[in-house]
Amino acid sequence: MSREFSMDRRAYLATVGTTATVALAGCSSGGGSTETVTPGTAPGFQPFEFQDGSELVGFDIDLTTAVFEEMDGYELAEWETFEFGSLIQALTSDRIDFIAAAMTITGDRDETIDFSDPYYSANQSVIVRSDGSFSPSELGDLSGRPVGAQSGTTGEGIIQDELIANGELEESNYTSYDNYVLAVEDLENGNIDAIVIDEPVGDTFANQRPVEVAFIYETGEQYGFGMRTDDDDLTSAVNDGLQTVRDDGTYEDLTAEWFGS
Amino acid sequence: MLLQSGAWEYIAANWVYLGWGLVFTVCLTAVSVVLGFLLGLPAGIIETYGSGYSRRLVERVGVLVRGTPIVIILVAFYFLFPLTIAAFWAAALGLGIRSAAYQSQIFRGALQSVGDGQMEAARSVGMSKLDAIRQVTVPQALRRSIPGFQNEFTIVLKDTSVAYAIGLGELLTRGTNLYLTEQGNTAVLEIFLAISAVYFVLTMATNLSLDALGRRFAIPGGEGR
Repeated sequence: MSREFSMDRRAYLATVGTTATVALAGCSSGGGSTETVTPGTAPGFQPFEFQDGSELVGFDIDLTTAVFEEMDGYELAEWETFEFGSLIQALTSDRIDFIAAAMTITGDRDETIDFSDPYYSANQSVIVRSDGSFSPSELGDLSGRPVGAQSGTTGEGIIQDELIANGELEESNYTSYDNYVLAVEDLENGNIDAIVIDEPVGDTFANQRPVEVAFIYETGEQYGFGMRTDDDDLTSAVNDGLQTVRDDGTYEDLTAEWFGS
Repeated sequence: MLLQSGAWEYIAANWVYLGWGLVFTVCLTAVSVVLGFLLGLPAGIIETYGSGYSRRLVERVGVLVRGTPIVIILVAFYFLFPLTIAAFWAAALGLGIRSAAYQSQIFRGALQSVGDGQMEAARSVGMSKLDAIRQVTVPQALRRSIPGFQNEFTIVLKDTSVAYAIGLGELLTRGTNLYLTEQGNTAVLEIFLAISAVYFVLTMATNLSLDALGRRFAIPGGEGR
């Protein structure tokens, strides 16, 4: 990386970034026999999707790759990354064609986009500092405490709908974060006392950081891949691919690899 | 990404990855400032010397652009713009147009500070209004606009970080990607500090170069006005 830096090089770099994206956009709208699908996700959600250098890894990434290998006439382009809250906007404005981001199938989201069949079920966990004295055992115990979640997630939805809407928590006690890493950072620093987060991700943080799962809030929510409502061919092809990887044992291998069970 | 024990070792091990973010930040700043200059200078001239309809149009567009938060401008260019353009160009267009709206005011102020007598003198020797603007008032105003321009340059430089909202791999996005990893998620503070230091060095370098430029092109004897 110690090459001479010149104006030509600047222009070159800008062009490379541009042409790569333009080329991808061109492929996905091309009329060839193979349709290229641009997948999008929001990293920072271990073990579902996170960065490993410039590479994206995680359960969702591997599962998407496995599913698309089973689908005739489709191929995956490079992954695009966004903040979680921008994913649906990116899908509906054709920036991406497919969302794989541990996204829970909810009624609100279902009105805007189509979901695949569910591919994973999870509950929400409430995590707190390991060395703290605060150990809630039900949602009501969070009353009057500063709590946090990632914006646009079901964890945030629970705080909004179950606590704030019922008057159990002041709006000012809730902090919304761009990603859960920042929320955990604030939890460790003592700025908030608890985080509501998807169970597998909460478990990962509990293994890595001085935080622990206080209790599980049963939601029985299910994750689905997201697609545009007019992309019915893709949706049914994804569902078929998903069924195939479940039947041939690939799905089980991937859960064992990423969730260690 | 390499596994390292300490936060600073982790950042040092990934300097190449962050370095490419720096390259993106510098390119984005350069393109945005140039675009802002190409649109902002004519806009400033029209606001100073234009008449009636054209001046009011430029003024109103300027007020609208200056009054819109930069994140909204970027998201609009990236997600809502009818043509699908790459994140880099969406960011460059958004930052450039916003900068043009501010630069127009810098140039307007500088042009207005050039005494009316200059324009009258130019016209009295037979120059057209356009020639007088081009050869008499603008060259003086450009020199006087350097301090304001310096300020605008550093603002654009730091505001490139909002391109994070549309996923462009500039410095802040790459720093964020570094802490969204298994090894990096305990190094959030150190990563923010490292990135801030890089922005600080860039800002200082920009200011020193523009200071030098200002001294080089200062109007001889023009300080005491």
